[in-house]
Amino acid sequence: MSTSRDDFGIAIRSALLQRGAKQKFSLFVLILVSIFIFTLDNANLKPINFLRSLINDGIYRISAISSSPIKFSETTKDFFVKQVFVYKENERLKSELEQLKKSNLNSLYLKTENDSLQNILQLKKDSPYTLVNAKVILDKGSPYLNSVIINKGSNSGIKLGMPVLNQGFLAGRIVEVNFTSSRILLLNDLNSRIPVVVSPNGFQAILSGVGKKEPTLQYLPENFELNDKENLIFTSGKDGILFPGIAVGQVIVEENEVLAKLFSDPDQIFFVSVALDQAKEERER
Amino acid sequence: MALIFKNFKENIFRLGPLILLVYICISEFHTQFYYWEIFSFNLQFIIIYYWILRDPSILGYGFIFLCGLFNDVILSLPLATSAMSYLFVSLVAAYVRNATVRSSLFTDWFTFVVAILIGNFIYFFLISNFSNGNIKYDDIFYNSLFTFILYPVFWGVFELYKKLIFVRVNA
Repeated sequence: MSTSRDDFGIAIRSALLQRGAKQKFSLFVLILVSIFIFTLDNANLKPINFLRSLINDGIYRISAISSSPIKFSETTKDFFVKQVFVYKENERLKSELEQLKKSNLNSLYLKTENDSLQNILQLKKDSPYTLVNAKVILDKGSPYLNSVIINKGSNSGIKLGMPVLNQGFLAGRIVEVNFTSSRILLLNDLNSRIPVVVSPNGFQAILSGVGKKEPTLQYLPENFELNDKENLIFTSGKDGILFPGIAVGQVIVEENEVLAKLFSDPDQIFFVSVALDQAKEERER
Repeated sequence: MALIFKNFKENIFRLGPLILLVYICISEFHTQFYYWEIFSFNLQFIIIYYWILRDPSILGYGFIFLCGLFNDVILSLPLATSAMSYLFVSLVAAYVRNATVRSSLFTDWFTFVVAILIGNFIYFFLISNFSNGNIKYDDIFYNSLFTFILYPVFWGVFELYKKLIFVRVNA
């Protein structure tokens, strides 16, 4: 019994302390260094945060460069897939074109009517936010985090918590800011919680990411009635961080839960706009 | 000149697993797919475990530590979380190497379970106690399960690669 315990001790000690022919550090030393770095990082000291911000910027750039072959292969694959299906799509588009020609006249009438109504209401046609456009440089999925990294940071005025829009719809919010890069926590991430309002009923809820493509609506009032096609989700601005009224998605009612079909597809985010501030006119309204 | 070229060739082949590990940690390469949501695996664990167990001269502990730091920065985990996890996987591999006389695929495969459990426990412990991030337990379970299931496949590939290095070096 004692011999087997001795053997275990010798093997563990050897594994921890032995450096071998080509090993410059022992495992024991590196584990101690890791614990030291982990403690420093968790201490949240200003110089350490500054240093981490610099390291993040450097590594994100290297990572973006090293990911280019993967991006290129994905683009090439998409190109060939598109070519294969282009004939069928062409046929379908021809028939759709005929349909569209028929409805074009009707659309023109509606557009004219819409423009005149907007003029009457004096609605802004531009975005009501001061935006900074950015490109996604890194999109690495993991079981722990659904986030993307963009090529703009504090040097462009980006701050923690700012909402991020993709084609005018909410895509996520800023959770990490470096000098020339930032991290966006996507709406479908497990850690994402956004206060929202469901129109037209006006129900308040929390949009919670569950790690899948569709986040869930939680904390809805009792005896709520929602409809798949009619109910849209907007930010409520209750947290005081996100601006109210940003379109988020559409309600999907399932058996036991209410999900949100996001207008901004989390898999298709390449360019985003960070809303720095509401425009002056919007604030005054 | 021929000797320099031979040494260069040898070094490149011997650096293969390290280059792969660094590339996986630092690039957008991911082993998680939206279309089949439960499928994901931890290739870093497989690479580290195999090479520390079978040929530790290929993969240095210092590089494993650095790869862990890169991975933490890319995934926005608290710094040194992955590094510690990888080092504990290396520790299990080094222990198994010291404790066993003859190793085979099956001994490697079943001791790998211990490495996965310890590696993921370190993640769990550090993330749940020292960060605000939530953990989706079923994702981690499936990740560990597929990492375990796929080990023999990569074991076969790496065995072939090891033979290739041996042939090239001794050619």
